[in-house]
Amino acid sequence: MDPALLQAAGDVFGRADVWLIIVAAAFYGIFVGAIPGLTATMAVALFVPVAYWLDPVAAIGAIVTMVACAIFAGDIPTVLLRIPGTPASAAYADEAYRLSEKGLAQQVLSVSLTCSVIGGIIGAILLMVLGSQLAAVASWFSVTEYFWLYLIGLSCCVLVVPAGARWKAMLSLILGILLSTVGLSAVHLEPRFTFHSVALYQGISFIPAMIGLFGLSEVFANLSQAKRGDSGACAVAPAVSFGTIIGASRSALVTRLVKRRSGTVRSSLMGVLIGMLPGAGADIASWVTFAAAKRGRDSKADRESIDAIGDATTANSAALAGGWIPTLVFGIPGDSITAIVIGVLLMKNVTPGPAIFESQPSLVYGIYLVFLIANLVMLPVGFLAIRLGLRLVRIPKQILLPIIVLFCVTGSYALNASLFDVGIMLAMGLVGFVLNRRGFPLGPVVLGLVLGGPLEERLIQSLTASGGNPLGLLNRPIAVVLAIVTAFIIASILRRSIQELRRRESA
Amino acid sequence: MKFICPIVWLVACLAAVGCNRREEWPFRPVTLICPWSAGGGTDRVSRQVAVQLESELGVPVNVVNATGGGGVTGHTRGATASADGYTVTMATVELNMLHWRSLCPITPDRFEPLAMINQDSAAIFVSADSPWHSLRDLDAKLRQSTESLRASGTAAGGIWHLALLGWLDRSDLPSESVTWVSINGAAPSLQEMMAGGLEIVCCSIPEARGLIDAGEIRCLGVMSRERSPAAPEVATFAEQGIDWSIGAWRGLLFPKGVPEDRVTKMREAVLNVANSNEFRQFMAASGFQVAVADGDQFEAFLTQTDADFGEILNQPHMKQTQSSAIGPYFLPSILAALGIVIGAFGWGVSRSTLNEEANTAAAENLAIDYHALLRFAAAVGLFIVLCESLGYVISAGAMLLAMLLMLRVGWRLAVAVTVVTIPSLYHVFAVVLGVPLPWGWLGW
Repeated sequence: MDPALLQAAGDVFGRADVWLIIVAAAFYGIFVGAIPGLTATMAVALFVPVAYWLDPVAAIGAIVTMVACAIFAGDIPTVLLRIPGTPASAAYADEAYRLSEKGLAQQVLSVSLTCSVIGGIIGAILLMVLGSQLAAVASWFSVTEYFWLYLIGLSCCVLVVPAGARWKAMLSLILGILLSTVGLSAVHLEPRFTFHSVALYQGISFIPAMIGLFGLSEVFANLSQAKRGDSGACAVAPAVSFGTIIGASRSALVTRLVKRRSGTVRSSLMGVLIGMLPGAGADIASWVTFAAAKRGRDSKADRESIDAIGDATTANSAALAGGWIPTLVFGIPGDSITAIVIGVLLMKNVTPGPAIFESQPSLVYGIYLVFLIANLVMLPVGFLAIRLGLRLVRIPKQILLPIIVLFCVTGSYALNASLFDVGIMLAMGLVGFVLNRRGFPLGPVVLGLVLGGPLEERLIQSLTASGGNPLGLLNRPIAVVLAIVTAFIIASILRRSIQELRRRESA
Repeated sequence: MKFICPIVWLVACLAAVGCNRREEWPFRPVTLICPWSAGGGTDRVSRQVAVQLESELGVPVNVVNATGGGGVTGHTRGATASADGYTVTMATVELNMLHWRSLCPITPDRFEPLAMINQDSAAIFVSADSPWHSLRDLDAKLRQSTESLRASGTAAGGIWHLALLGWLDRSDLPSESVTWVSINGAAPSLQEMMAGGLEIVCCSIPEARGLIDAGEIRCLGVMSRERSPAAPEVATFAEQGIDWSIGAWRGLLFPKGVPEDRVTKMREAVLNVANSNEFRQFMAASGFQVAVADGDQFEAFLTQTDADFGEILNQPHMKQTQSSAIGPYFLPSILAALGIVIGAFGWGVSRSTLNEEANTAAAENLAIDYHALLRFAAAVGLFIVLCESLGYVISAGAMLLAMLLMLRVGWRLAVAVTVVTIPSLYHVFAVVLGVPLPWGWLGW
């Protein structure tokens, strides 16, 4: 056996302090991820000062664990309150909340936990086995390919909405992209729609916007419908015990690995592939796989919805491992989290890049092993978190709603320490309330806000590089393939819309 | 008994939070504004400085990433922060550039310089499989070629773009021989060059370190007078016969108007950090070049560089190259057109088919109670207005209490909930996580 692997195993498994740090990081990650407004990136950035006192394996172990846990924990407020804890959960917020209103919160959360663990482990295995080969793929992607990739992500979110609302979803999406153009344009460095207000130069940050659109608007919806004197607890929370959560997770595990085998494999692969592309990440991965799982099926069957959510949670966890591929192989960060990781590694006198595989193989193996442990530790900690979450939402609505508002306000302030962001959150809450009442889905608005900026940047970069010629978007083989996929998705959106129209006319 | 417990909790939290005041400044956490996002070079340096400044000052130093607007947000917030010495800004070279491009009214005069800590020179990189091995090769290619080469490293008009244009200008190369593709950040630019979308990348050496070591890219020259300690093997522009040096700097600034004694104390603390061995080791490990200048030197440096950048940015060909082929309103106008088409289509469809649905919706509308909603929105609005002066604890507490009472929760229960929730939330955010919440005149 490889001595480096043995040393790594000793480093990771044999040291009590590493275990202790990983368990502590799991709790911390769950906690930060479950608070809307604090993202996984934020969790890691806040951890950096602590990382100074740790050796590389312990520091990396803590980071990997807290990120995996934060991404899972983001699902808890998503399912229970329809407030995505992290952007990676926004894709299925509406769907998950609809299920929990039917009393299925516990099942959804168990599936999400199980799938996060499965996705994380498969992602880690892919990272180990295919890491350097996949990194070569990532280096083929130029701005043109990214443009098409983002367009695929955007069109996917129109595809997933239920029947009848496609034109509304498209309008939501356009609204989101238009909102993303507010502020100083990243490519032109020119202020747009700022009305001479310096505060608007930063644009509309999407995390406060997301909290407002989903969280605050839900509070508003509740308020506007509340009958006077109605003091019932939220319908979402059935009585729970550990036994039922564990039972549900076990059956979810069996389902995922046996019946939904192909879905599991497909979404893990897609997660890793999307996650390793710098600039794409867990959030895009979860949108695309969610769309692939639903593949335009308009069925509202609960079973299928749960499966689709399972696929998406598998993918967003697998994407985390994907982000490490370009980090380790080229020293180029795959996402904002690995960007911080590179900083931490440099601090420890470790320079990520191809040399690391020869100079410090035991550290590389250590990172691989830590990925496995992180996902296993997440299981028991996740059970605790689910139970606690289900308890908390049983607080009577009259008390819960103001507290949710308090969290929305504090969370949107915390990200950039900016009261302007709280104002954006409030405005988006009102916008979200109106849109929701008119039947416009909110997910596309958030995705438009997230992807609008990069989409425009990549489009204009590609066009600048080709001297303004639109054919420049199709002059590379991968770009052509991605363009065909995009065209296919758009065609199927149109076809479905036309079918619906016909059906309605004949009815 | 039910109410004693929350009160004990409140007292305990407040004791832990803000009551351990000392006479001397600083006695509450200091905020360090980083105008760039978490994970980038400036963020890394900021967090290192924050950790060390914390032990110098004896109070927590929290990094806030005030990102967006290409640095406008962070620098503006730093300059307009209250001048009590509790807000420090990690300013970057963009401070010299933004106001010349009339993007931001903030000039270096709005700040009180504490110390410069780092300066990184620009360098030119090409892919390892390109035919160019020295600046002369690249120069010859640019001179004879009719087609322009594609270059990037930052957004158009950013520091590395200026560096490249300055080189072209000094060498009398035509400015149209290079097309600048506006890519935000050095890492994505390098990635783009590896994917074959660019021929030249201009950025600093530490940003490209990983790929140089991997043998994927080649550095043709550093735009400085002396060789960079991060890459001593690379020849400077001066050695290759071109008199051109430019770089990015980072430094710490107070807003103008901080009391003299606090400025003196902070300058001392920052210099101690910048000259410490720990800091130098960190900078060396990350490949950043340490360049320490104390407050007065830094002030002179800022005045000098500001004038230099003004000269470069006001050149006619510079202004011309900033306007790109595709205008900033290209995408918004396409989207607006698309939106109008889809909206009109949808409106037509829903009008023709959904009469009965509209009726039910109208019936529902009657049952809606907008009053509670608007009152909640007003409560949040009031919080936004009052929070800066009253502080987080009081204003959030008042907001929560008001909302609870609006929902007809008994006032005793409402008070109890407020007293438990607010201090614990404050404790978690401001103390445990180190995320600064607004301080009022009471300090919490």
